[in-house]
Amino acid sequence: MKFRFGSIFVLAVSLFSMSCLPSAPSGGGKGARTITVYGFSIMKEAMEKDIYPAFAAKWKAEHNGEEVNFVSSFAGSETVTNQILQGAPADIAILSIERDVDRLIAAGHVPKDWYVTPQKGIVNKTPFVIIVRKGNPKGITDFADLGKDGVKLIHPDPVSSGGAQWSLLAIYGSELKKSEAEGGKKDETRALNTLKAIWKNVIATPGSAREARTQFELGQGDALVTYELEALLMQDANAPVDVVIPKSTIFSEHPVAIVDRNVTADERPLVEAFRNFLWSEEAQKAFVKNHFRAVTNESFNDTNAQFAKIEMPFTVEYFGGWEKAYPDVIEKVFRDQVQNK
Amino acid sequence: MSENVRHTRGFDLIKPLSITTLLIVMMPLVLLPLASIFIFGTSSGLASFWRALTAPEAIFALQLSLVTSFWATVFNVFFGLFAAYVLSKYNFWGRNALIVTISLPTAIPTAVAGFALLLLWGPYGILGKFLEPQGIHIMFTAAAIILANIFVTFPLAFGVIKPVFDTMNQSLEEASATMGATRWQTFWHVTLPSLRGAILSGALLTFARSVGEFGSTILVSGNLAGRTQTAPLYIFAKFNEGQVEAANAIAIVLALFSFVIFSVLFFARDWLEAE
Repeated sequence: MKFRFGSIFVLAVSLFSMSCLPSAPSGGGKGARTITVYGFSIMKEAMEKDIYPAFAAKWKAEHNGEEVNFVSSFAGSETVTNQILQGAPADIAILSIERDVDRLIAAGHVPKDWYVTPQKGIVNKTPFVIIVRKGNPKGITDFADLGKDGVKLIHPDPVSSGGAQWSLLAIYGSELKKSEAEGGKKDETRALNTLKAIWKNVIATPGSAREARTQFELGQGDALVTYELEALLMQDANAPVDVVIPKSTIFSEHPVAIVDRNVTADERPLVEAFRNFLWSEEAQKAFVKNHFRAVTNESFNDTNAQFAKIEMPFTVEYFGGWEKAYPDVIEKVFRDQVQNK
Repeated sequence: MSENVRHTRGFDLIKPLSITTLLIVMMPLVLLPLASIFIFGTSSGLASFWRALTAPEAIFALQLSLVTSFWATVFNVFFGLFAAYVLSKYNFWGRNALIVTISLPTAIPTAVAGFALLLLWGPYGILGKFLEPQGIHIMFTAAAIILANIFVTFPLAFGVIKPVFDTMNQSLEEASATMGATRWQTFWHVTLPSLRGAILSGALLTFARSVGEFGSTILVSGNLAGRTQTAPLYIFAKFNEGQVEAANAIAIVLALFSFVIFSVLFFARDWLEAE
């Protein structure tokens, strides 16, 4: 019996050695500062590859070698917002749709005057395009074609994904724009019917734009409506896809907001410096390199030869801003008439 | 031997037939999915597999999973032992209700469990909002992961240990008492040895279940890579980012780990009970 207890003792000791919490891999030295960033799904690569290192280097040079570490979490925009509302320790939030910022304001996490810059808090933008399989076997030329018989569509869930809501506005708005150009009036019935036909072809609704892209890459579906930068990243990786540029589409604009509730007084200068850095030439050019479109200076966008020209672009202002677009289009048109029919 | 067995020159057809059927059924449901992880994970070569495995965030995720599961297991085994002792020894009003309540966490979807913890301990939660101003943050830390694991695996060790108590021969304990042993001496020298097998099973079961826990962890941890991201969360995040190989590498590690745990369980049980 002593022997058996002895072996149990040995087991316990070896287990005990793993009883201490592992140290963070990006722990940095003593005195390293940390910024916690919660961002929507497609921001991850641009931030981690270029923005974080560039800012850390700049801060280090300007502040006597002080290290800055970034801790981040990325998910669908609505999911990120919900996490912050539940108390996730974000210092700064980069979201897909301004409406999510409004939700944070309503709960008191972000002050009402969150945008005090000329860009109104928007850090970058990208138009919405359609990705199809190489050779475009289903012959998609514009949004309306996605409603054709036999087309299988992956579309993120509008409940959790900001990109999904942009996509719905892109589809709906493009039909309004085209009918306006053709007949002088916005044809809402035509836009609604297009949306209905398209939604019937949706085979999967993953939680974020990035998840939708992964599912598409794994072979599901014939088409994907997403941010232009996702399409360009896939082409960069030589994925067998083609990009269809619609005649008219929306430019999604992505806001950044400091989550005041989580930022202490002595953290503020660092967090504000980081937020302002996002509008610096260095950061905007880094965004362009990662296929986001710059917002401070249109000429930066010319450096990326892969950006497409959109014939009839529009923004959420076309609907009267998110205060009108969400209840009018996402709720009244999409949720009530298309999804819950 | 049953009269229904048909023998052809003494050869029993049913045995190979039933074994083959067993394997055929298990193939598409269990064996092939497991195999596909291993096949895919090593398909782009061992070099990229190793790279995925040694990424600092991956190592951190595995360590965090092991540590949080360890502590949840320690707590639940001690509590399971204690609860099984109390609930099988004493009869009191509400005893059965308590037994059922202990078993409830298995029936609750893990996401609901995570959400319930957030609602209670989160910065704006029922209790959390009093702790927050004191600077006590429970949610979005490793402590939250341990709490969630404790909740979700609560009944496991208890459920394995209690039946042993119930079927234990009372006369041994009574004999020990008549010989003048204190309650504690009786427990340590008479009761505990018979429970060794059950305690080990309960511990390993709890541990394996904890390591794989996802639904509650993703809600209460904040999913911060390199800070509060456990192995299953890491796999999920990598998958979402399209880094399917990195996800696979860790999936293989977890699968192997569970395989080892259950092999130990299987062999150690026999060894412990054969005494």
